[in-house]
Amino acid sequence: MRKHNFSSRLGLALVLIFFRLLPAVGAAPLLNDDAELLKTIQKDTLQYFLKRSDKNTGLTRDSSQSGSPASIAATGFSLAAIAIGQSHGWIPEDWSRDYLKKTLKTLLHRAEQHKGFFYHFLDARSGKRVWMSEVSSIDTALLVAGALVAAQYFPGTEIEKMAWDIYRRVDWPWMMNGRKLICMGWTPETGFLPYYWDMYNEHLILQALALGSPTHPVGQEAWKAWARHEDVYNDKKIVYSYSGSLFTYQFPQAFIDFRGLKDNAIDYFENSRKASLANREYSLSFRSQHKGYSENSWGLSASLGPGGYKAYGGKPGAGLQDGTLAPHAVIASIVFTPEESLAAIRFFYRNYAKNLYGYFGFKSAFNLDKKWWAEEYLGIDQGISVLMLENFLNDGAVWKKFMALEPIKRWIQLCGLTSGKNPGNENNIIPAS
Amino acid sequence: MLLMAPFQSLFQNILSKNRRRHFFINKPLQIRYLVYITSLLFVVTSAIIISLYFGIWGGVLDAFSDTQIREDLLIATRLTQYESARVPQETPSVPSALTFFKQAEKLSLRQREIFKSILDQTHKKLLPSLFVLLGFIAWGSIFLSHKIAGPLYRFDATLKEIKEGNLGMRIQLRKFDEAQFLSDRFNETIETLDFTFSRLKNIVRENEANPERMKSRLQEELSKIKTSAEA
Repeated sequence: MRKHNFSSRLGLALVLIFFRLLPAVGAAPLLNDDAELLKTIQKDTLQYFLKRSDKNTGLTRDSSQSGSPASIAATGFSLAAIAIGQSHGWIPEDWSRDYLKKTLKTLLHRAEQHKGFFYHFLDARSGKRVWMSEVSSIDTALLVAGALVAAQYFPGTEIEKMAWDIYRRVDWPWMMNGRKLICMGWTPETGFLPYYWDMYNEHLILQALALGSPTHPVGQEAWKAWARHEDVYNDKKIVYSYSGSLFTYQFPQAFIDFRGLKDNAIDYFENSRKASLANREYSLSFRSQHKGYSENSWGLSASLGPGGYKAYGGKPGAGLQDGTLAPHAVIASIVFTPEESLAAIRFFYRNYAKNLYGYFGFKSAFNLDKKWWAEEYLGIDQGISVLMLENFLNDGAVWKKFMALEPIKRWIQLCGLTSGKNPGNENNIIPAS
Repeated sequence: MLLMAPFQSLFQNILSKNRRRHFFINKPLQIRYLVYITSLLFVVTSAIIISLYFGIWGGVLDAFSDTQIREDLLIATRLTQYESARVPQETPSVPSALTFFKQAEKLSLRQREIFKSILDQTHKKLLPSLFVLLGFIAWGSIFLSHKIAGPLYRFDATLKEIKEGNLGMRIQLRKFDEAQFLSDRFNETIETLDFTFSRLKNIVRENEANPERMKSRLQEELSKIKTSAEA
């Protein structure tokens, strides 16, 4: 009896010593279970939308910085994220319904818009345009996409009706300004911006919604008109965006499931996979110059940095980098590169949680060379993380909801994406010189 | 000029006829009304000025507090960076003068927006207060005019009765009604007339049996009264 007592006490002491020797990390119990870790990150990241959305209008602030205006893209992500949170039971259903109704009502009746397109930045309390911002085509598309995803979670309700009313109101052809390409924006003061969506970028979601619109569709030529520039990096042939920022490969694919779809020869899912791997390899090629870069520490995407917000990215593309990495970039690539992303997420969480992980999950970015850690969270980074984690953890839940929409089916049919062949529809593919 | 001369003299004639030599005809009454109207207008203008002052300056002080300016500067910088990031070929590696100009422009546009919003909000807040003030002015006007309209009504009604031959009528004004002195004088006059006619009636009643005496007494009494018949 005595011996037994002694051995059990010794065992307990050894266990305690073992746990004392483990490195102290914020939420250590979840480290051994990747799914749990990812779920925790998703839940924490979702908190941003609960805390940074205006309690009266529902509009979500662009960043966690004090005085930040509401961003319509962040609001779009918020609508989808809240619906996701509700579907898991993380947010009470009554609260979610109220939030979605309130926000959609604001967007339908109060938020300043022109021809159905919303101003990029709005006053979170009144919905009025602020900072003389432009009516933004891509941000409106992200908002509409988020609203439609939310609508799919609440079929046959006022939420669904309002989301569709917002979508139906958008006069997509107007944004083409009489051209074949879709313009980036418009202001009442200067008219259409001089920039058009003329090459591969995050605008694929804009194209899908504009072509599939039940009320104001744009012609099929809009899909053909933009250039698909191809280049090779480390034997990977990629249709690339000009910045090479990871978000350009991720944002549309938080909603659109490109698996099995081909735009002639281009498989955009595979393209994003290769772009994510190339992005990682590009940062690894600078590992001798920057402390932060390693096999498990990568993610060059538009983010905050020591010198402000920049369109960091890899090759092919501009490839701007200075040692700054964005955790949200690896999280959002998890559907394309699960192993590499998961390893990086584990690495960031295990090693940098103290400086990088907060109340709303991972902060925007960090730079080890300059010992710089972002203090802020950006709404769109939070949104893409929640949606991509949902696709990864919950069997493509967002994809399934979004791909079931009639306008998306119409867009796929119009552009001949299903078969991978579209006779007479030669896309504007430009190989690297 | 010659044609204008007769009109000029006519105008001067009218002016001189209607010209007031003394602005204070009834000093206490006029001073009282000066105080009433000035106080009313003072309250109204003070309310408007205070609302405008606190509305505009309160908003301006809030919008341009150190914290707010710092926040706005940071946001102006951020939004300029967002714009540059969207068109990366224009992104300079080192902040250029153009970047600073863009940020300054953004900030100035924002300040214009803030001013507009402050003025809009102040006007919106002022509008209901204006209705309250209008109500206050309306109430003040009725209150003040009632002090005059009431006595005028009483005079009118009493004079009608007197015209019908009822000399027993007297005017009773409320404590704070105007024309108290006039009603006193009016009552005294009516009282005198009432007394005179009563005396005449008494002479007739007392001397019904002696017509000669009645005549001399009446003549004696009537000689004390001046009428237009003498003219």
